[in-house]
Amino acid sequence: MRLPRIFRTTPFRLTLLFLAMFAAAAAAFLAYAYLATAGEVTRRADDEIRREMNSLEAIYRRGGTSSLNQALIERAVGERPFLYLLLDKQGHKITGSIEESPIGSTDEPGEHWTTFQVTDTDPDGGEVKRPARGLQERLEGGEVLFVGADVGESEGFVTGIVRALWGAGALVILLGLAGGIIVSRNVSRHMAGLNETVAAVRAGDLKARARVRGARDEYDELAEGLNEMLDRLERSMGGLRHAGDAIAHDLRSPLTRLRARMESALIEVEAGKGDPKQALIQALDDADNVLTTFNAVLAIARLQAAGSAPDQTLFDPGQLAADMAELYEPLCEEKGIDFKVELIPRLTVKAARPILAQALANVIDNAIKYTPPGGAVMIRVRRRSSGEIEFSVTDNGPGVPLEDRNRVVQRFVRLENSRSESGSGLGLSLVAAVAEAHGGRLELDEGPGQYDGFGPGLRVALVLPRVE
Amino acid sequence: MRILIIEDDIEAAEAMSRGLGEAGYDCIHAADGAAGLAEAQKRGFDVLIVDRMMPKMNGVQVVETIRREGDATPVLFLSALGEVADRVDGLQAGADDYLVKPYAFPELIARVEALSRRRETGAVATTLKVGDLEMNLIARTVHRGTTEIDLQPREFQLLEFMMRHAGQSVTRTMLLEKVWEYHFDPQTNVIDVHISRLRSKIDKGFERQMLQTVRGAGYRLDP
Repeated sequence: MRLPRIFRTTPFRLTLLFLAMFAAAAAAFLAYAYLATAGEVTRRADDEIRREMNSLEAIYRRGGTSSLNQALIERAVGERPFLYLLLDKQGHKITGSIEESPIGSTDEPGEHWTTFQVTDTDPDGGEVKRPARGLQERLEGGEVLFVGADVGESEGFVTGIVRALWGAGALVILLGLAGGIIVSRNVSRHMAGLNETVAAVRAGDLKARARVRGARDEYDELAEGLNEMLDRLERSMGGLRHAGDAIAHDLRSPLTRLRARMESALIEVEAGKGDPKQALIQALDDADNVLTTFNAVLAIARLQAAGSAPDQTLFDPGQLAADMAELYEPLCEEKGIDFKVELIPRLTVKAARPILAQALANVIDNAIKYTPPGGAVMIRVRRRSSGEIEFSVTDNGPGVPLEDRNRVVQRFVRLENSRSESGSGLGLSLVAAVAEAHGGRLELDEGPGQYDGFGPGLRVALVLPRVE
Repeated sequence: MRILIIEDDIEAAEAMSRGLGEAGYDCIHAADGAAGLAEAQKRGFDVLIVDRMMPKMNGVQVVETIRREGDATPVLFLSALGEVADRVDGLQAGADDYLVKPYAFPELIARVEALSRRRETGAVATTLKVGDLEMNLIARTVHRGTTEIDLQPREFQLLEFMMRHAGQSVTRTMLLEKVWEYHFDPQTNVIDVHISRLRSKIDKGFERQMLQTVRGAGYRLDP
C-alpha cells in the first residue's frame, strides 16, 4: 500500500523527524524536571523534619520526657503541624498525633527515614491518603521519637507541572503535524509545476517552461535556472538542426555540379570524344572545391554550435596582425598594392588565436583580391574608447553598396562583380561567426571614398570585447 | 623504405599502398589498432601511418604505446578531425606529423618522404649545405658560391626548411604549417609569392635554378 502523496513529501518527512527529535528532547526535559523538582521537595521536607527533631531533642535533653511530652502536645495544635509520636522504652505510645510508627519499634540506634502515607479527612468527609516523610530516632533515655511531615501539597504541585508539560507536548506535536502538512502541500504545489515542465521536456516539448511566480525565493531560482538551461538546450538543438540543414543545402549544389560534370565527361569519352585525363583533372578540381566549401561550412557550424570559441587565451592583437601582415605583404607587393600596417602596441585581447588568425586572413585576402593594382590596403589594430579591440582592414577597391552590406555576410552571397574571382562565398560568413563566437561583431563601412579612379572602398572591422 | 599503414578503411589503405608503392615504398597494412600495434612492435619500419579512429585500439593509444616502449619510428597521424585540439592530442601522443582527411596524394607522399628522411639528418648541424648553397645557422648567413645572400628572417626560415628537405617535394600546406605555423587555408596562394621572392634572391643571376616548382605538389630544392 502506498502512502498518500502528501506523506511522502520531503518536508513532511522532515517534519516527522523534527517532531520525533522534539518529543525525545521534551521527554528528557520532563524527566529531568520531575526528578529535580520532586527531589527538591523531599529534601526541603527532610530539612524541616530534621530541624524539628533537633529542637525536640534539645527540649528532651533539658527537661526529660515530661518536657518533651508537654512540647509535643503544644506543637500538635500549631499552625502547620508536624506528625508526632513518642513511644516509651517498651514501644507503647506516650503521646502523638498518629497511632503507630510507620517504621515500627526498632532497636537499632541512629536515624531512620521513611516515606509513607497519612490518611486525612477531606472537607467532604471522605478519606484521602497523602504522601508524607518521616524520621524516627531512639532518645538517650530509651524512648522512641517519630517526626513526620505531610508533603502532599508540594508533590501535587510537581505533578501539576508535569501534567501541564505533557499537555503542552501533545499540543506541540499536533500543531507540528498540521504545520508539516501545510508546508508539504505548499512545497508539493511548487514542485509539481517544475515536475510538469521536466515531464513535458522529456516528452519532447522543448518549448515548455517552468512558471516563475515572482516571489524571488529558491523555487523561483530553481525555475529560472531550469528555464535558462532549457533556453540553452533549445538554442543549441536549433543550432544543430540549422547547421545540418545548412550543410545539406550548401553541399548539394556543388556535389550536383560535380556529378553532372563527371556524367557528361563519361558520355563524351564513351562516344570517343573528349579527353578522359582532362575530365578527371576537372573532376578532381570540383571535388577539391566541394571539400573547401565543406570545411568552411563545418567551421562556421562548429563555431555557431559551440556558442563561444574554444581554448581562448590572452595575447597581443598587434602581434597577430603583424604576423598576418608579414604573410600577405608579398602578395600586395606582387599585385602592386600599397600595403600599410598601423598597430597600437601592447594591447590585450582574449581569443582563440588560430581561429582569429583564420578570420583575419579571410578579411585581408578579400581586401587584396578586390583591390585593383595601384590601390592600397591598410591593416589597423586599435583600442576603441569603449575598451573594445578593433582589427580593421581598409581597401580602396569597389567596395560594397550600403544595401548589400548585410547580405554579403550571409552564406554564399557573392556580389555580381565578384563572380570572376575565386572563392566559396563563405569568407565573410566565417568572419562573422568568429566574431560572434568571441562575443564581438563584424562591421562593414565605406572605405576612404572615391578618388583618382579608386574607391569608394570597404572597411571591414572585427570588433572584440574589452578584456576585464 | 618500409611503411606500416594502420587504417581500418580497407579501400583507403589499398589506395594508399598503391600510391606509396608507385613512389617506391614497400607497404604493409594492418586493419585495426591491435593488429597494427603487434606489427609495429616487430620494428623495422621507416614510417608508420596511423589512423586516429579505429576499432579495438585507437591511433592515439597505438602511438602512445610504441613511444612508451622506446620506439622512435616517425609517425604520421591521419584523421578526419581537423580541430586544433585534435591536432594537439595527436602530436602530444608522440606523432611527428598530422594530416587531415581527405588529403591530396602528393601531400601524403611529401609528408611521408619528409618523415622517412628525417632520421638521416638527425645530427645537430651548425651549417647546412645543398649544392653550392651554404647556410650558417649560428651566424644566420647564407652564401651561394661566394655571393652572400641577404634574407629577411622569414625567408631564412623558409630556406632553412627547404634545405633540410633538399631533394624532396614539400607542399604549400607543409610550408604554411612548418614555417609559419598556421593551420588554416590561406585561400589565395600566399606561399607561392613568398617562394618566388626567395627564388629571386637565391637563383637570380645563377645559371642553375635550385628552387623548382613541382607540378601538382609544391616545391623542391635541388642540389
